[in-house]
Amino acid sequence: MREEYRLKYICNRVLLLAAAVFLLLLIQAAAWLLRFLQGGTGLWQGLIHGAAAGLYGAVYWFWIIVPYRKGEKWISHFLDGYGIPDSREADSFLLTPYMKRQIEMAEKVLKAPGAMDFNKRQAQYLALQNQINPHFLYNTLESIRGEALLAGLNSVADMTEALAKFFRYTITKVENLVSVEEELDNCETYFRIQKYRFGDRLRLHVECDEEDREDIMNCRIPKLTLQPIMENSIIHGTELKVGTGNLRLQFERTDSRLIIRLSDDGVGMDEHTLARLNRKLAGEVQTASYQEDGRQGGIALVNVNNRIHLIFGEEYGLHVYSVPQKGTDVEISVPVVASERQLPNRGILS
Amino acid sequence: MREEIFRMERVTRIERGMVRLEDFNLQVYKGEIMGLLPVNAHGMTAFLNLLQTNLPIRDGYVYYGGGLVNSWKESGREANRISIIQAQSCLVEQMTVTDNIFVLRQGYRQRMIRPGILQSQLEPFLRDIGIDLAADCRVEKLSVFERVVVELLKAVILGYRLIVLNEISTLISSRELCKLHHIMRHYAKRGFSFLYVSPHFEELVQLCGRVAMFSHGRIQKVLRGAEMDEECLRGYVEEYDSMVRAHLESCGAESEKGAPVLTVDGLTCGSLNRLNLNFYAGECVVIQNMDNEVYKDLTGLLTGALRAETGCFRMEGNPVEICGNRNAAVILEQPTRTMLFPRMSYMDNLCMGLSWRMPGVWNSFRIQKSIRKEYGKLLGEDVFDMQLEELDEKQKYQLVYMRVLLQKPRIVFCIQPFKGADMSHRMLVWKLLEMMLNKKIAVVILALNLADSISLAERLVRIGSDGSIEEISRDHFGTLSGDAPWRYLYREKSVKMTDGNVFRDFHKKTAEELGRP
Repeated sequence: MREEYRLKYICNRVLLLAAAVFLLLLIQAAAWLLRFLQGGTGLWQGLIHGAAAGLYGAVYWFWIIVPYRKGEKWISHFLDGYGIPDSREADSFLLTPYMKRQIEMAEKVLKAPGAMDFNKRQAQYLALQNQINPHFLYNTLESIRGEALLAGLNSVADMTEALAKFFRYTITKVENLVSVEEELDNCETYFRIQKYRFGDRLRLHVECDEEDREDIMNCRIPKLTLQPIMENSIIHGTELKVGTGNLRLQFERTDSRLIIRLSDDGVGMDEHTLARLNRKLAGEVQTASYQEDGRQGGIALVNVNNRIHLIFGEEYGLHVYSVPQKGTDVEISVPVVASERQLPNRGILS
Repeated sequence: MREEIFRMERVTRIERGMVRLEDFNLQVYKGEIMGLLPVNAHGMTAFLNLLQTNLPIRDGYVYYGGGLVNSWKESGREANRISIIQAQSCLVEQMTVTDNIFVLRQGYRQRMIRPGILQSQLEPFLRDIGIDLAADCRVEKLSVFERVVVELLKAVILGYRLIVLNEISTLISSRELCKLHHIMRHYAKRGFSFLYVSPHFEELVQLCGRVAMFSHGRIQKVLRGAEMDEECLRGYVEEYDSMVRAHLESCGAESEKGAPVLTVDGLTCGSLNRLNLNFYAGECVVIQNMDNEVYKDLTGLLTGALRAETGCFRMEGNPVEICGNRNAAVILEQPTRTMLFPRMSYMDNLCMGLSWRMPGVWNSFRIQKSIRKEYGKLLGEDVFDMQLEELDEKQKYQLVYMRVLLQKPRIVFCIQPFKGADMSHRMLVWKLLEMMLNKKIAVVILALNLADSISLAERLVRIGSDGSIEEISRDHFGTLSGDAPWRYLYREKSVKMTDGNVFRDFHKKTAEELGRP
């Protein structure tokens, strides 16, 4: 017998008992009706027992089984790693008051501002890690020195300014949501820095629906959403490619969603890696220990995705498309939010 | 601002313990013709089923018309107002076009059906798209193209906002396909959205604004804008491309063909009018039917469903029938479904065509053992002990084609061999057909869509609706119309040949000038 049907589980015992009562009522109804058909009395008793069986079955089905199955689906979805459902949705299938408390507690732990803090801290850490990354500093300073040697002081100034601007944005901004314009500005600053390293080998194209440009630029998104993805595209995509690498940043909006797509024409990834990455992005908000396997790659994407899930809900987030040797697209989907006050879940930002 | 008509957000669907769709993301905008290229078709049926009905999903969300219609939390199993037009018709036979469109719909409350009024309601729609069709015609009398148009009109009239067309180019002729594309563009301008599923990127490039690449139940990439360039798209089928390129390079100049293995002698049947053709050993000929009727008649003649009014097929001068002839084989459309016998073992299925050469094959373990030994290297050792239901699509294709190879016919007719196959299976079929050609078997491909067939062909025979025949040899494939697949390879080849000739002429001239032989 399959494990889930074993009688050691209380739910199966309850189901068995209910089925027995239902059958008993049906048998009684059938017995009365048989007696009536054989010429005796019992029509009314048979009909009453039949109706009772029907009523009992219907009530049991809609009141017990349907909510129970919904609850089972809800829990198995969570246990299979498909994300944390909202505890308010669990009200329709609670087994005991303790179960309610248990679910609330689980949600509190996993969706607590602490989790958000963890992800925020991690985002800042990732950005800071770049700043103190010896390669990053070395390459940048080397470029400055090279430029200085070749005499053009203006470019040295420009580079230093870009670096300062980037550091300032990463470290000092304390708001959680920033406008797309600010994020784009930070990306362009980051790109300017990288450009000194890669020269003409790297190109950035920004595309935006002109008629919605103003709307799009005013939309709010979590801070440090675009830059980590751009960095990922450069390091894992275009840097490994022979020849010029193109980064394309596209913005478009529908009536309810803002879609930002960062595409590179780099080395891409195989189907298996892509599937694993997308599974990671679709999965639950991961704790510190779980994220350790992020060392295999994609930690920045997972971090951005987690923050989007926590702020806007699990319907939004990142999705990656890729073909080996053809490039990778990272698609960010967020709701159209013009102010933090529009967020139903703004408590998480505090 | 773009209006989203349909969106699947990281949908995972599991059927009988098998993951059919995984983290599947797709959105279709209003007034858009979006392409879907099945690189690997695993999960395609599940996807189409999920479009039509809100079946339970393991994870994700499905939005249609701006609202959430299905999610992992709740699947109502109700039908979406999405129309899928494919090989299997959704129209009811024995009823008229107007009945199918107006009467068989939810919310039709008239007690009396007035055909005149319904016909007058349909009239403006037909006029609008320039289609001449009798509204009172019964569905079974419609041609395939007309049936497709009626299904499309039905979707438009019922206000379905998303219309899916699944591999339509294998059902209708090129000319009809052009008309259909025109109609689709017309309705796309009016705000209807289309999802056009086709394994041929040449077709998708011409029609679609974006193309999603479907592979193993996931969207691998969505191509748009500059990426939709045919040159760029070709990079995605590099393996196939290099395979065809190698084949073309190995094809030398035309050699002496010898006597034809089969002659079509003044064949007349239905729309075929005095058809005369010769097929030679080891030659691949593609017969492209410009009209659906011609295609039906030809397949009818090959399968024995129709008899020639006049004329016949001839082998070595003697009149023969193709059906039941051991020297000829016919591979039907979608052979993995139509040519296998699930209750028979793998070996029995494989040896079916061998019995005429080796009558004792059924009782002789020695023959079966040697077949197993010889073909085990090609097909794999395990397949011989597997049930037919356990075989995957690739193994089924191999079984059908190997059965034909074992039969050793002199000529093989393949009816749309690439129909319904995804990219990997198309490559497999291509290789199997090449194998037949290498064994000096004449291969005749009957096609509506040139697509893959043209890459193998030495001759292309086009049969028009009036029975007229146009024959084009491989050297002239480069001059075919712009939408012809693999045209670029033939053009490259002809350029190379011209260069080669110029080079040869130059050497000849120089040698003459220097007085060398």
